[in-house]
Amino acid sequence: METETIKPSKYERFRIETKPAPHVYQIPNKFDVSARKVRLAAMLVHEAFEFKLNKEVVLSRPCIYGVFGGRLGGFKPLKHKCVGCMRCVQEYPHIMTVKQSDEYKRLGDSFWTPEAVFTIWNEASTGKIPVKGMGYKGAFGGEGFDGIWTDMSEIVRPTRDGVYGREYISTCVDIGRKPTKVDFSKLDQPPSTVKVPVPIIFDELPTGNRGVWAAVGTAAEKLGTMFVSRDQTRGDSHRERMVPIVDENSIYETIEKKPAVVEYDAEESDLFEKLARRLPSSIVIARIPLREDTGMVVCKLAREGVHGLHLYADYHGQDYSKDPLHLSASLKEAHQQLVKEGLRDQVTIIASGGITLAEHVPKAIICGADLVGIDTTVLVALQAEFLGETRDRESYKLRPRRIDPGWGAQRLVNLFGVWHDQLIEILSAMGMRDVRRLRGDIGRSMMDTELREQSFKGIAWATKN
Amino acid sequence: MGNQELIVEKHSERIHHGLEVLPSLRHGLPAGLGNKRWTAELILATYEMALTGDLPKNDLEYKIGDSGGGFDVLGWKNDAFAKVDQETVDLSISLNKRGEGRKIEIPLPIYGGGMSFGSISLNFMLARARAAKKIGTYTSTGEGGYPDAIVPYRDNVITQVATGMFGVREETIQYAPIVEFKYAQGAKPGLGGHLLADKVTSEVAKMRESSMFTSLYSPFPFHSVYSVEDHKKHVDWIKTVNPRALVSVKVSTPTDVDMVAIGSYYAGANIIHIDGGYGGTGAAPEIAKKNIAMPVEYAIPKVHDYLVSEGVRDDIVLIASGGIRTADDIAKSIALGADGCVVATAEAVAVGCTHCGNCERGRGCQVGITTTDPELSQFIEPEWGEERIVNLYTAWTKRLRSILAGFGLKSVRDLRGRKDLLVRYK
Repeated sequence: METETIKPSKYERFRIETKPAPHVYQIPNKFDVSARKVRLAAMLVHEAFEFKLNKEVVLSRPCIYGVFGGRLGGFKPLKHKCVGCMRCVQEYPHIMTVKQSDEYKRLGDSFWTPEAVFTIWNEASTGKIPVKGMGYKGAFGGEGFDGIWTDMSEIVRPTRDGVYGREYISTCVDIGRKPTKVDFSKLDQPPSTVKVPVPIIFDELPTGNRGVWAAVGTAAEKLGTMFVSRDQTRGDSHRERMVPIVDENSIYETIEKKPAVVEYDAEESDLFEKLARRLPSSIVIARIPLREDTGMVVCKLAREGVHGLHLYADYHGQDYSKDPLHLSASLKEAHQQLVKEGLRDQVTIIASGGITLAEHVPKAIICGADLVGIDTTVLVALQAEFLGETRDRESYKLRPRRIDPGWGAQRLVNLFGVWHDQLIEILSAMGMRDVRRLRGDIGRSMMDTELREQSFKGIAWATKN
Repeated sequence: MGNQELIVEKHSERIHHGLEVLPSLRHGLPAGLGNKRWTAELILATYEMALTGDLPKNDLEYKIGDSGGGFDVLGWKNDAFAKVDQETVDLSISLNKRGEGRKIEIPLPIYGGGMSFGSISLNFMLARARAAKKIGTYTSTGEGGYPDAIVPYRDNVITQVATGMFGVREETIQYAPIVEFKYAQGAKPGLGGHLLADKVTSEVAKMRESSMFTSLYSPFPFHSVYSVEDHKKHVDWIKTVNPRALVSVKVSTPTDVDMVAIGSYYAGANIIHIDGGYGGTGAAPEIAKKNIAMPVEYAIPKVHDYLVSEGVRDDIVLIASGGIRTADDIAKSIALGADGCVVATAEAVAVGCTHCGNCERGRGCQVGITTTDPELSQFIEPEWGEERIVNLYTAWTKRLRSILAGFGLKSVRDLRGRKDLLVRYK
């Protein structure tokens, strides 16, 4: 008699395998803890009398993190262990001082705050979502992405339990042009799109070195995403993951390699037709800086048939208008213009510039992107050093370090893993099963400026004395 | 006395002494203390009020933080001269405005928010319960069960029923004058709850009927509630088990928070409790605290105005929480449309919290608030904690009375929805 066996399901939930990739280069201590040594010595003498030379009691330290656990206790605190809990200051305010260290305060530039640099370092090294207690500690709302809150669904929702849940939330997106109607004469030619499992790609980096390029290529391979590169010799071993930026000089080299996705600078050359003709199975994306007239430009390009638009701001997330706007505002404008013209569903939008924290991914998507590109964030994850302002794409001041490509790739995989988990948290709170549904869904967001006007309507303005 | 007891006594005495000395600024403003929302001055002012029961006499800022928005950019039109005798100002509010059911009034427009056994120490829980009893207000169990030690204070303890149903039993519902359904919380709106494995000690596991040192998740949402009708069944369930209990519905602040509020009203809730996105005491992903759901400052007028337009505002109590740090925040919330506020973080600050956010790290809170560590928990003696919390509320009472008297208002109920008394700064 034949026995029926249950075949195991081929379904595999998408997961990004994170594992620790500790910092290779020493990072600054966040806190600087110090003691007034004479007072400390006097206190020890005083306590020796008070507790009758009971060594265990006298030497019990006011720190549960081991800052005073070295041989010399408070005379030489182990500063790297300090988490800024302030208990030593509470217990001995006349002796102890804890402050943010100068090295910590110097991290980053005018856009990259020390907190943001630390966050990326920790995400890249641990692969774990940052968790803290006792509420939010930062500024209220703010400019750009900080002035956007995402929605949540109080009762009715299709998904459960965020990253811990059983149900699948898709973070896949397609890159490429989608037809608006079925053409029965071309049924044997399915539309060409490339699917990536997370709505994040690596954008062209301002700088790098062999280790960095190799790490990016390997990470893109492991993650199933893409990396954009102007230099086609980079990451040759991961060629199928590369999105070359093509110009008149490199077009023939590109045609030979037949990349799945290709970008060109739409402001500098009109290569679309040539690329589409010579690379009929490739997805051709126009790369455009965001500025006042982007809405008009993207509509023109979409009508001409480009498959995608890569809209970029500078590394601080500001567009290239005369009066620069944040990426969120100009991206929204471009997206809405395409919607108005009935063109939006045909093209893919990649947004980049200033995508530096996990929350920027869903917020950029809410503002109209299909997916985002990250740039300086990659270098920060790989412990590059800020030497000054890194705003312009031409005059960056970020120095990459020499790294082991394997270590670097793991750091980037960790970063994507953590950002993916946080994206799922946001989608889960909204009750969304698919990141594609979030695109341009401004109704599932709340804007600081709008809420302020609605809720504080009728409250008179005043000047603070 | 053994060495362990001596060590606890030594550090406990020194921490308490430090909380007395620091607000005097004799040693300056501690450089590493505080953040944009809870500035060093605000933390020290809270220590001072918890010590003296009075507003700070030095120039410590005790009204606002430095967040650059929300309550911190709102002020009062006239805050200078008392137009009525402050002592005659009535701060009491009713927690049941419906025609039926038990009438409950609290003497000031504040009660304590849910912080669960497991996320906080039993001693701190006891301090809060004792303070609530002394003041005549309430504190909430949070979703961690109802320790036996809390039972003597049950007339002042709200039982929370949340999605994990931890510690929810027939008798804990029957104890409660108020039962609070927690649909969501401001710290992690839409993400449920999470108690990390390290905190699930044998006592916590027993209370929550789970295994020791295993992470505990409260799912989101209530999987038995997918509509207002389902929600009504929940309310009916509580009212069947304990007909005398008032029902509070705690929700977060999504775009449609006004619709959620009206739904709760029609489901029979007595209190709609909105918990803004910036608040919370529990450990939560940073991305959730900063980015999901709107701050309560914006949610209050939205809900208040909607309830007014639906003609039910005077039948339901609107309570706000999530980032309420000061007496001024409370008064501003009421002027924006709330009846009163729920406070939790400020109570923790009163007993020494530095708002450092390391609650979930290692052994938990270094001063014994958010910890289950047996040694650290002893830093907060319930009597001492009670006194500090009562003192804080006493100081806040003075400030609230001074604000109201300045406007010639004899009752805090008259402040509700008076946005015209506020100003906003650029």
